[in-house]
Amino acid sequence: MVNHEEEVLAPTPGQRVGTFSKRKDVKRTFWLWLFFTIVFCVLGRLAYPHWMPPVLSKEMQGNEDIMIWFTVISAPIAGIVLAVAMESFLNMHRGDTPPEEGVAIRTNTPVVIIWTAGSVFFCIVAIVWGLVVMNTDATKAAADSATSLTVDVTGAQWNWSFFYPAQNIHTHTLNLPVDRPVTFNVISDDVNHSFWPVQLGVKVDANRLATTVIHATPTKVGVLDVKCAELCGLYHAYMETSGQVQTSADFTSWVSSIQATGGVQQ
Amino acid sequence: MTTLTHAPASSRPIPNPKKSLITRLHMGTGMVVGIIFCWGTYFAMKAGRDMTDSHNVNKVLLASMMMWSFGFLVGIGALIGPFRWLIGKDLTAEEQLYLAGDGQGVKRYFKYCTDHKVVGIQYLVGVMTMLGAGGTMAMMIRTNLATPGSHFVNPNVYNSLVGLHGITMIIALIIVSTGPFGNYIMPIMIGAADMAFPRLNALSWWVLFTAIPVLCSAWFLGGIPTGWTAYAPLSDQAGPGMNAFLATIIIFALSTAVAGANITTTVIAMRAKGMKWNRVPIFVIGATISVALAVPAFPTFMVAMIQTAMDRTIATGFYDPNVGGSGWLYANLFWIMGHPEVYVILIPGVAALMEIAPVFVRKPLFSYNAAIAGFAGIAGLSILVWAHHMYMSGWMPALNGPFMVTTEFISVPTGLLFLVLIGTLWRGKPWMKLPMLSVYAFIWDFLIGGITGIYLSDVPADNYLHGSMYVTAHFHYTLMGAALTGAIGGLAYWFPKMTGRMLNERGGYISFWLVQIGFNVLFLGMFLAGAEGQPRRVADYAHLFAHANLISTIGAYSVGIGMLTLLWAIIHSARSGVVAPMNPWGAKTLEWTVPYPVPLVNFDTPPVVTSDPYGYGRSAK
Amino acid sequence: METSTTPQAKKSIGALVAIVLGIGVVAGVGFTLHKVSADPQPKLYATKIGTIVAADGKTYNHYTIADSVYADPINSKAHGTCATCDGGHPSWPSYGPYTDFVLPAHSYVTVTLTVYDGGIKLNTPYFASIVGTVGGTANFDGVDKTNLAPDGVEHTFTLHGLPTSTQDPLFVNVPLPMNTDAEMKAYNADPTKLPIGHKVTFSFITQGAGHYVWNCEYPCGDSTYQGFGAVMGQLGYMSGKVTVVNG
Repeated sequence: MVNHEEEVLAPTPGQRVGTFSKRKDVKRTFWLWLFFTIVFCVLGRLAYPHWMPPVLSKEMQGNEDIMIWFTVISAPIAGIVLAVAMESFLNMHRGDTPPEEGVAIRTNTPVVIIWTAGSVFFCIVAIVWGLVVMNTDATKAAADSATSLTVDVTGAQWNWSFFYPAQNIHTHTLNLPVDRPVTFNVISDDVNHSFWPVQLGVKVDANRLATTVIHATPTKVGVLDVKCAELCGLYHAYMETSGQVQTSADFTSWVSSIQATGGVQQ
Repeated sequence: MTTLTHAPASSRPIPNPKKSLITRLHMGTGMVVGIIFCWGTYFAMKAGRDMTDSHNVNKVLLASMMMWSFGFLVGIGALIGPFRWLIGKDLTAEEQLYLAGDGQGVKRYFKYCTDHKVVGIQYLVGVMTMLGAGGTMAMMIRTNLATPGSHFVNPNVYNSLVGLHGITMIIALIIVSTGPFGNYIMPIMIGAADMAFPRLNALSWWVLFTAIPVLCSAWFLGGIPTGWTAYAPLSDQAGPGMNAFLATIIIFALSTAVAGANITTTVIAMRAKGMKWNRVPIFVIGATISVALAVPAFPTFMVAMIQTAMDRTIATGFYDPNVGGSGWLYANLFWIMGHPEVYVILIPGVAALMEIAPVFVRKPLFSYNAAIAGFAGIAGLSILVWAHHMYMSGWMPALNGPFMVTTEFISVPTGLLFLVLIGTLWRGKPWMKLPMLSVYAFIWDFLIGGITGIYLSDVPADNYLHGSMYVTAHFHYTLMGAALTGAIGGLAYWFPKMTGRMLNERGGYISFWLVQIGFNVLFLGMFLAGAEGQPRRVADYAHLFAHANLISTIGAYSVGIGMLTLLWAIIHSARSGVVAPMNPWGAKTLEWTVPYPVPLVNFDTPPVVTSDPYGYGRSAK
Repeated sequence: METSTTPQAKKSIGALVAIVLGIGVVAGVGFTLHKVSADPQPKLYATKIGTIVAADGKTYNHYTIADSVYADPINSKAHGTCATCDGGHPSWPSYGPYTDFVLPAHSYVTVTLTVYDGGIKLNTPYFASIVGTVGGTANFDGVDKTNLAPDGVEHTFTLHGLPTSTQDPLFVNVPLPMNTDAEMKAYNADPTKLPIGHKVTFSFITQGAGHYVWNCEYPCGDSTYQGFGAVMGQLGYMSGKVTVVNG
């Protein structure tokens, strides 16, 4: 789209790029962009690992990586928006009468195209990243299915309970051996709940009469919090329990101590 | 320049259709008839029913609530016109003029008034009331969460606060721009004398009005435990307060359908001569796309609510897995409404800011076409993304990938909205008045809301974030930070046209900074709590989250005080603010060519449009 | 620019008054909700009856509490006159007279619950097991058991809380046996005639101070989805608080 009037007034493209990069407002905007981009990158890289709970599984590591790297990737784009906004803000006109007329830029087709292409590219990166992680997780879960530990999870207003079929034990805390894939079969006995072993970074709703399945592989010993992430009525906030990722030996002795007391954890 | 041939309202005779019933009806008669219908139904239906059975309680309450709404409309005279049509007549010309309310002063605001400017003010007051109620509930929620232990309210009250805060704010934000500005300003902006269907316009407001007492009654019926999403089967199980929620949504959906059809028709059919589609102000485009999007979206919510009501009254079991129903059915119906709905909220607010920015930067709107492409792209994609709310529900994990693709792509048209705004700001020297501040607040808030939306829409990250406070913070950045900020900017901008006075600047500035700083403290704190792993909608939490929650609560109080300051500024300025000139901002859209008070038919001579309204600025050197 | 200060000052005072008024309204709503949220029933403080040596060989202070479970709120005496007034729920079962318990930390607590209600079956069989008590058992009318049949349970006492870094975990689940139809016959004809009832006694050892909640896992909300509506969604009938305090 070429504005006829502009064409007459405009200098050659080469001259335009030259004068553009020398303009004061352009330089200021560049430095503001650099500042915002660096701030966002640093925040993303430092803040999320600091805020998020200990990473106890491969899946949780995947989540945290996305939080960090999406922040870093989006930083330059956010930087442009904030830099231009800040540059114009610093140029503000105060007083009771309108400022002088600005420059009549109706549009700038190359800018619109570059911007759109840039956001499409960013989109595709996000989508491909997500699809690759999803696919890797699914492939791994399928490969692990023979060796994985099965835990049947039941949500009932407002408590979680767990049954380990191979070990034949009923528990109210969720203990898992480290480095062994786990398959959770999740079900609800009433309304919807959402099973969220926080440090494992996985989650799935518990539905009545429909088993949902998720997989995780604990990679580190540590404390687990199990929460309900779907509003389920009166004591939703208290529908929590704890657990542990244990060494294989600790897990075995935990299981046998429960088997010794009739298969129900005390 | 417009020539005034219009006599001042006071000197013209007030239409007086003698003995017509419509002159005797008003809000008061509506309430009386509504209450009679409501209690009459209640006692008639209660007699002989076993009220210890919850199904019977639900039948009686739902019927009573719907009859209140119907009775109110009968009592205010909304049905006189349709009834006359039924018997082959219509309102007389004099009656119609009477309904337009010209020269009736303050009284017309309490009547079934067909003047779009009256309806606009009714919506404005209604929205402010709802925001006040929703904000009060937000303060209660944050007070309870200030420290761990849930010392302020019990879990019953807390869950009701969360759900009723949510639905009150959602309803308020759906109408916050299209209600007041879409009704008052938009017809003038396109050079129309009124809306296409003035009686439907009045109907949309008064139908909505009847939903307010119904929603309030939830508090007196034991509250709702479900949050605003009203997920089944929890809603099947919930107590009598749930009926108030269902009835509210059914009534509200009727109101939106009527309003949506009306606004869309008005814009399509009643634009001034010469206002081609590429000369329509961007706010009009945004508002139209928003209501057009609402027209297909809300019926699914209504269906979902009717099915819940049937489950609760006659045990149909749509959502009861024990008899073959499914909560996933509800979730799908809900989010098919729910995701378009957030853009129904967002688009008019952004469009208002796009209207504002060129005026104060004295530059044309950058790439009008990109703005339209942005809105249209968002609207188009938004009907294909609903199941991203259900990644973790266990329903069809195989669809997570496709829904992730559509959802991530929404960031492309959304990016265009940013480009239009920063393109307009670029090389500008913005006149830093109240409306302009909202543009900057929007850019910051919506940038954060938008970027965090990219993590949330990525399935693996959503594994961790879904159902956490992170989500709550994200959508408050988009709905409050973007849509409400846009509406406040719009209010500051159009205040002179709607009240004849300028909005108090000092009050506005103080409010702006209290709200914006408080808002960012509040929701950055909530991002922190979410990243740490606090689920949303919990009355109590572990000590781990204590700092993040305290930060949020402090921010919330700042927002609360800021909003009260704004309320004072609005009331004070409307009563005794500086009298505004006809076009205080030097804007080029048509609403600034008419005086205040705006004449009944808006324009004495129908305006003729020869260019788009963004012809600001000097040619580029 | 010349401005007289008086209107300016007046305006500021007006704004302040308006804001204070607004805060007042919000505070008023808060006060009302806080009042509504208060537990209507009195708290039951555990009574000390001596000391006891537990299986771990340690000596604990021994405390007791006693409460009952009724088929209606009138007999439970937990809901005052409003148990029967309009808006009350004369058909709701209820713990009573207490639903709010205060226990000392690091103590041996013996709980006696007397049950006067009938039942059918649990939604979740897990809650038919006895968990978290001393010895993993509870005493039912003189007989120690580790679990009941899931279809012989009438209510449960299920105590739990948020896992936090500042309080110890405490999870106790004890199913309560139902009264059979024969036992409930006289009561069903005349609600003042309570059945003899079943006495359930169990003990658990508290750890550090903390805030916990308890609820019943039996679906008592007749005619609601999975029996967890109505009474189950209302605080103070089949749910309540347990506060463990130091000293």
